[in-house]
Amino acid sequence: MANPLHQFEIQDVVPIHIGGLNASFTNSALFMVITVAVVTLFLTASTRGRALVPGRWQSMAELSYEFVAGMVRDNVGAEGRRYFPFIFSLFMFILFGNLLGLIPYSFTFTSHIIVTLAMALFVFVGVTVIGFLRHGAHFLSFFVPKGVHPVMWILLIPIEVLSYLSRPVSLSIRLFANMMAGHTMLKVFAGFIVPLGFLGGWAPLAMAVALSGFEFLVAFLQAYVFSVLACLYLNDAIHLH
Amino acid sequence: MSGFGMAFRIGTELVAALAVGLVIGLSLDRWLDTAPWFLVVFFFLGAAAGILNVYRTASGLVSAAPDQEGSGDGNGDVS
Repeated sequence: MANPLHQFEIQDVVPIHIGGLNASFTNSALFMVITVAVVTLFLTASTRGRALVPGRWQSMAELSYEFVAGMVRDNVGAEGRRYFPFIFSLFMFILFGNLLGLIPYSFTFTSHIIVTLAMALFVFVGVTVIGFLRHGAHFLSFFVPKGVHPVMWILLIPIEVLSYLSRPVSLSIRLFANMMAGHTMLKVFAGFIVPLGFLGGWAPLAMAVALSGFEFLVAFLQAYVFSVLACLYLNDAIHLH
Repeated sequence: MSGFGMAFRIGTELVAALAVGLVIGLSLDRWLDTAPWFLVVFFFLGAAAGILNVYRTASGLVSAAPDQEGSGDGNGDVS
């Protein structure tokens, strides 16, 4: 049976070694480039016509715009409008990365924790910087729970700070674990189809079909969860609860 | 959000805070050579932060935020 974890292996496409540093262009990097290219192509080609009554492709592009715009408006409010390009890029990058990873023989870069952690840390650091820029030192009041006697602050402020620091960790683990678990499970069930033969192979095949459908849901849901949480963190930084 | 997504989200919230507490405790111990005291302290702080995260997620403080625009202070009392 094929190794179900083989799909996550990083392979060098263009080996680049600078000093002792391995900066090779890997299959992971290749699929990130492909994702960016596909997103750009999808958005520019579909809106080329600029029809008043949108066609299929244009309405798909408009739908994704409306979806993210509504998400930013609902979760951050009017001040969130200037961060829309970032949230939209984040959402489209993760969504298309997840969806392109479902194509057989492709690579899912969102199933690597280093990729999701980099994105989550970018959101985390960015949101913290925005909070300090907007509120200055007053942003630190975010960590002081309201309606609590000052004596309890000694205990509660470290807990609040830890809770804040755990955000990028939970954000990155959620996306990475969902994608990795789904793809591994799909591969395990698919690996049983041929060994079980014509009589027994139908059960894992049905399972693989059902899981593929489920993976489409997960791909969309996780992209949505990641960007909606980025919005909520942004909202916290802008409005301080 | 689906039930599955919600369940997974709550699970990661709990584990993530605990993991952050453990990492901070272990590195402080290694730096100041005080093993195991910082680990013990930050284990409990991390666990508390994890439960706080779960409580906030589950009580809809995070997911119900859009409906209660501007009434931020009231959220804590409602739940």
